Amino acid sequence: MRLNCTVNGEARQADDVWAGESLLYVLRERLGLPGSKNACEQGECGSCTVYMDGTPVCACLVAAGQAEGRDVVTVEGIADGPVQQAFLAAGAVQCGFCTPGLVVAVHDLLARDSAPTDPEIREALAGNLCRCTGYEKILDAVRLAVQR
Amino acid sequence: MTTHAKTPVDPAPSVPVGGAVGRPVDRRDGHAKVTGAARFSAEHHYPDLTYATMVHATIARGTITAIDTAAAVAVPGVVAVLTHLNAPRIRPVRKGNIVRDLGPSVSGTEVNYLNTDQVFWDGQPIAVVVAQTSVAANEAAPLVTVTYREQQARVDFAAEQHNATPAKGDLTFAGTKKKGDAEAALATAQVSVDLRYTTPGLQHNTIEPHATIAVWSGDHLTVHDTTQSTDASHKYLAWRFGVPAAQVRVRAEFVGGAFGGKFAVWPGTVIAAMAAKAVGRPVRLALSRKAVSRAAGGRTASTNRIALGATRDGRLTALIQDSITHVGSVGGLLEATSSPARHLYGAKNMLTRQNLVEMDLLPNTWLRAPGEAIGSFVLESAMDELAYELAMDPIDLRMRNEPATDPTSGKKFSQRMLREAFEAGAERFGWADRNPSPRSMRDGEWLVGMGAATAYHPVLRLVADVKVRLSNDGTALVQCGFHEMGMAAATVQAQIAADALGIAYEKVRVEYGDSDLPPGPMAGNSNQTATVATSVLAACAELTRKVTALARKTGTTGQEPAATLRAAHTPFLEASVGSTSRLGSLRSQGRFLATFLKDQRWSKAARGAQFCEVRVNADTGELRISRWLGMFDVGHIINPKTAASQLRGSIVMGIGMAMSEQTLVDPRNGRTMSAGLDSYYLPVHADIPPIDVAWLNEPDKSMPLGIIGLGEVGMTGVAAAIANAVYHATGRRIRDLPISLDKTL
Amino acid sequence: MDFLRPSTWDEALAAKAAHPDAVPIAGGTDVMVELNFDRRRPPALLDLTRVAPLTEWGTDGDLLRVGAGVSYRRIIEELGSRLPGLAMASRTVGSPQIRNRGTVGGNLGSASPAGDAHPPLLAAGALVELASVRGVRRVPVDGFFRGPKRSVLEPDELIAGFLVRPGGAQQFAKVGTRNAMVIAVCSFALSLSLETRSVGTGIGSAAPTPLRATEAEEFLSRELDWEARGPVPPSVAQRFGELVAAAASPIDDVRGTAAYRSHALSVLARRTLAWAWKGFREVGP
Repeated sequence: MRLNCTVNGEARQADDVWAGESLLYVLRERLGLPGSKNACEQGECGSCTVYMDGTPVCACLVAAGQAEGRDVVTVEGIADGPVQQAFLAAGAVQCGFCTPGLVVAVHDLLARDSAPTDPEIREALAGNLCRCTGYEKILDAVRLAVQR
Repeated sequence: MTTHAKTPVDPAPSVPVGGAVGRPVDRRDGHAKVTGAARFSAEHHYPDLTYATMVHATIARGTITAIDTAAAVAVPGVVAVLTHLNAPRIRPVRKGNIVRDLGPSVSGTEVNYLNTDQVFWDGQPIAVVVAQTSVAANEAAPLVTVTYREQQARVDFAAEQHNATPAKGDLTFAGTKKKGDAEAALATAQVSVDLRYTTPGLQHNTIEPHATIAVWSGDHLTVHDTTQSTDASHKYLAWRFGVPAAQVRVRAEFVGGAFGGKFAVWPGTVIAAMAAKAVGRPVRLALSRKAVSRAAGGRTASTNRIALGATRDGRLTALIQDSITHVGSVGGLLEATSSPARHLYGAKNMLTRQNLVEMDLLPNTWLRAPGEAIGSFVLESAMDELAYELAMDPIDLRMRNEPATDPTSGKKFSQRMLREAFEAGAERFGWADRNPSPRSMRDGEWLVGMGAATAYHPVLRLVADVKVRLSNDGTALVQCGFHEMGMAAATVQAQIAADALGIAYEKVRVEYGDSDLPPGPMAGNSNQTATVATSVLAACAELTRKVTALARKTGTTGQEPAATLRAAHTPFLEASVGSTSRLGSLRSQGRFLATFLKDQRWSKAARGAQFCEVRVNADTGELRISRWLGMFDVGHIINPKTAASQLRGSIVMGIGMAMSEQTLVDPRNGRTMSAGLDSYYLPVHADIPPIDVAWLNEPDKSMPLGIIGLGEVGMTGVAAAIANAVYHATGRRIRDLPISLDKTL
Repeated sequence: MDFLRPSTWDEALAAKAAHPDAVPIAGGTDVMVELNFDRRRPPALLDLTRVAPLTEWGTDGDLLRVGAGVSYRRIIEELGSRLPGLAMASRTVGSPQIRNRGTVGGNLGSASPAGDAHPPLLAAGALVELASVRGVRRVPVDGFFRGPKRSVLEPDELIAGFLVRPGGAQQFAKVGTRNAMVIAVCSFALSLSLETRSVGTGIGSAAPTPLRATEAEEFLSRELDWEARGPVPPSVAQRFGELVAAAASPIDDVRGTAAYRSHALSVLARRTLAWAWKGFREVGP
C-alpha cells in the first residue's frame, strides 16, 4: 500500500508498504531517517520514540497504515535546542543508542511541564531504557534544560 | 572514624585543574548522537543492499538430516537461502597464539557456520535468508523447515554440575591457587562460615542489538560491525575467508554499547560476510533482540562454595572458594570468579579453585567485570556474614585483613587505597549512623538497611599502535583503531594528546573505530584508556622532540609548534608508535610482552568501596534502593564527567544483576526464554536513586598519567552491598541472585 | 496482508463480519509486538484508530460508558475522579509512550491474566459491550474471560467499550520487580459502594484469568460497619485478605512463587481496604 504522512514538516510518501510494517520501519528503511533506533520492537525500551500528532509514541508499535495522514516528528526534526545541549553538557550521552528516544521524551516532558519534580522526571522517562549512563546524568540534563 | 583520605573529587568540579587532562569536557560525538545524525553499524547506505535474516536451530544437540528451503525461496523478494548444503566454504577457526594475535580468542564459538550439519546449541544459526527487503527475509526465514537427528543434550546447569572438572586456566589466570592448608585451617578456626552462593546467567542487552553490513569488492571485504575489537576481528575474518588481512576492513565508528558482548565475532558477522559473497551484493544482517539471545553469548551462571575461617579478633586464617561455571561445547570463557578472593584479603591459608562444566549451550563470553562481578558478590557477601558471626563491623573486618602485599602472588601493590576509600566513603555516606542489628531500622512499613562491599577489578594493559600528525595550521590528528562504545574514549585521548603536544584541546582530532587505522587494542578488561594513552604519550613525546629540534634550527624555540612548522615550511610532522609491517608487528608483540612483564611486577587494580541503603517492604518484600555511594581508588581521572558516568552506569548494571536480571534457560531443551526486554528486566529510570560517585584521584605511579581503567570496577561489589543491606534490613540472607520479591520475606 | 481502515463504526463492524480473521488494532501495544516478532501474520489488520466513537466517553443512563479506544492516558487525565480504580491501574501500565497509545479495549481483547485494567473493571462490576453486525450485547466482565488470552468475543465481534457505575471508593495495588514498566507479579482492585453496601474485587496475575473473590466480597459486605463507618476490625481485614488469597490459584513462575503471590494478594487486599475505608471515613459518602 501507499503511505502518505507528514514527517518533520515535510509531506512524505512511501510505496509498497507492507501492512504489517511498523512506522519505525518506514522511517528508518523507507524514508532515510535512522535517527529513531530499532532496539526492542516491543515498546520496552523507548529508543524509537517519535511524536505522532504531537504525542510521543513508540514508533515500533504503530502500524505503518495507522500513520496515514498523521504528523510525525522524529529526533531529526526536533530543532537543536536546550534539550540536546543539556544532554551534552550534563554528560547524559554515552553510546547514544537510547539518546534519540530520550531527546524526544524529554522534549515532550518539558513542553507539558516546565518544572517537573524529580519523581515526575523519573516516571516520565521510565519507558526509555539506558544501559550506559546510570540515568543520573539524564535527570541532570532535564534539570539543566529546565534552567535554560 | 578518622579519615586520612585525600579530599574526594566531585565528578563535576567547577574549577578546571588546568590543561585538558582532568577537565570535565563534553564528549566529542555527543552532538551527532543527540541529533540522530550518528550512523551506527546497521545504518550505512549502499545502493544495492540486501537484507539477511538467520534461521536458528531448535534443538540443543544433534545433526541436521534434511533442510527444506523451497517455501522460503518462493517468497517474493528472496534472493538466496544459504544452508550448509550451498553456502560458501570458509576456513575453520584457527587455533593460535593469543600473544601474537587475538584472532583465535576473538572467535565466539568454534562452529563452522553453515558449513556443518552439526548443531551445538539451541539457537545456533543454521541457515540465512537474503532478500531485497528485511520484511521479505523475515517472512521467509520461518518457512525454512529442518529435520534433525537429535542427541541427548546437557542444558540444565543445576543437573550438570556434578560433571564439573577443575579448570586449567591460562597465562593470566590459574585454575587453582593454593597457599597453606586452607581446609585444615578452616576446621580449626575459632569462627567460620561455610556458604553456598549461586548466580544466574546474565545477558549484555546493549541497547543496540548486534548488526553487520558486509560488502565485498573483489577479494576485498568491508564490514560495518558492532564490535569492540576491530583489529582482532579483521584478522579473524581474513583468516576465515582466506584473504590477506590487509584486504579486510572492519569499521565501527559508533557502537551502541558493548560491555564485552561485542568483543567476540559472533555468527552474524561471519554469516553476513558469507552471504554477501554468495549473492555478490552488500548484505545487512541486523539481529533482532531475540536473535541476539540466540547467537551472541552472555555471562555464565555460577555455583560457589565459599568458606572463611578467622580468629575471634577477625584475622582471616582460611579462605576457600570453589566455583563452578559453564562453557559451551564449542567455546566459552573461564569466568574468573575467584579473582577477588585471590587479591583482596590477607588470609594465611587460601584455596581457590575454578571448575568448569561443559554444556550444550551458546558459549558464554565476557560481560562487564567477568569473574569479578560474580566473585565480588560471593566474597563480599561472605565477609559480611563472617562479620556478623564475629559481631564486628563489616568494614572493620575488611580493614583488619588489609594485606601488605598481594595475598596470592606476594607482589607489591602499585597502589592500594582501599582503606582510604572505605574511610572517606563511610564518612560521606554516614555509615556511623547505622544500627548494626538486623531489622533495627524502619521507616513506616519499610525496613531500612545499609550495606557495604569492596569493589575490585585488576588492571590489564595491551598494546596500541598510534600515529600522531601535527600540522602547521596548529591542528593535530591522532589515529588509532581503538573503540568508542560510549566511554568517551576519543574525548579522553584528545585531552591527553592536547596536553602532551601543548596545544589546545579543540585543535586535536581523533580517528578511531576502523581496522585501517594503526591497530588499537580491543576495548575490554578496562584496558583501553591506559593502553592507548601509553602510545599516544610516546608518539606525542617523539613529535615534541622533532618540533624542538626543528625549533632550534629555525630559531623559533618557545613559540607554538605550528609556528615552528611554518617557519620551517613544513606542512606537518608525524610520529608513530608501531607499524603494521612484518617487522612492525613483531615489534608490537615485543612491546606488548615488555609492557605485560613490566606490569606483572606489580599487583595492580582498580578498587573501591560501595555503600548502599535499601528499603524492603515488610509486607510485600518489595526492594528499593534509596541511596548509593561508590568511593573509588581508580588512579588519575582524565575526564571527571565521562568517568563518573562510566562508574554510575556500571553500578546500575550491578543493581540490575542484584535485583532483576537473569538469563532464563528452559531446562528441558536449552532454549533461552529471556529473549526480549519484556522478560529480561533491566533497571529503569524510576528504580535508580541518586548515585553518588567519588574517587580519591591518586595517580597509580606505575601507569601512564597514573591512569587505572574504570569501566568495570563500578559493577563489582554492587550485588553484595545490596544483599548485605537486605540482610541488615530484614535479617534474611539472600545467597541466590537475583533478589526477587519472594526471597526477602 | 490487508490493512483495513474503516472510518465509521458501521464500516468497522462490516469489515469484521467480512473478515472475521482480521486482527483489530488500536494502540498496537500488543498486536505490533506479535507482528514484529513474527509470532503471527494475520491475513488482515483492522485499524480502529479512525473510528471516532471508540475514543469517546459519556453517560448511558446512570452508567458511565467508555469507548474501547480511549487511551490509558485519557483515562488518567479525564476519568480519574469518576473511575479512580481504573485510573490508578492505568498509571501503572508500561511507560508514558505505552499509555499514550494503549487502550482498555485492547487490554480486554488480549485478555491476558496480567492485564492491568482487568482487576478494577472486575471490582467495579463493569459490563463489556460487544458489537457485531448481528447486534450489540453487554457481558458482565467477570463472565468475559474464558482462559489465558481467551474471552467470549466472537470472531465477528469487536469490543465497543465498557460500562461502569461511577462512584464509591476504589483502590488498586500491584506488586512487581521494578518501579515502572512493571508486569504485575500480582495485582488487586477493590471497590466499595456505600449506596448499595456492596464490595467488589478483582485479582490479576494470580490465576489463568483475572477474577473476582466473591466469597471475600460477601464476607466483607456483611462485616463492614456501613452505618457508622466505624473502623474495620483487624480480624475482619485479616480474614478478608485470606479469602482474597484463597480465591486465587497462582502458579510459580520467574516473577514470583505461588506462595508469594498468595501472601502478597492478602497484603494488597488489606491495604486497599484500609485506604478505601479511610477515604469513606474522612470524606463521607
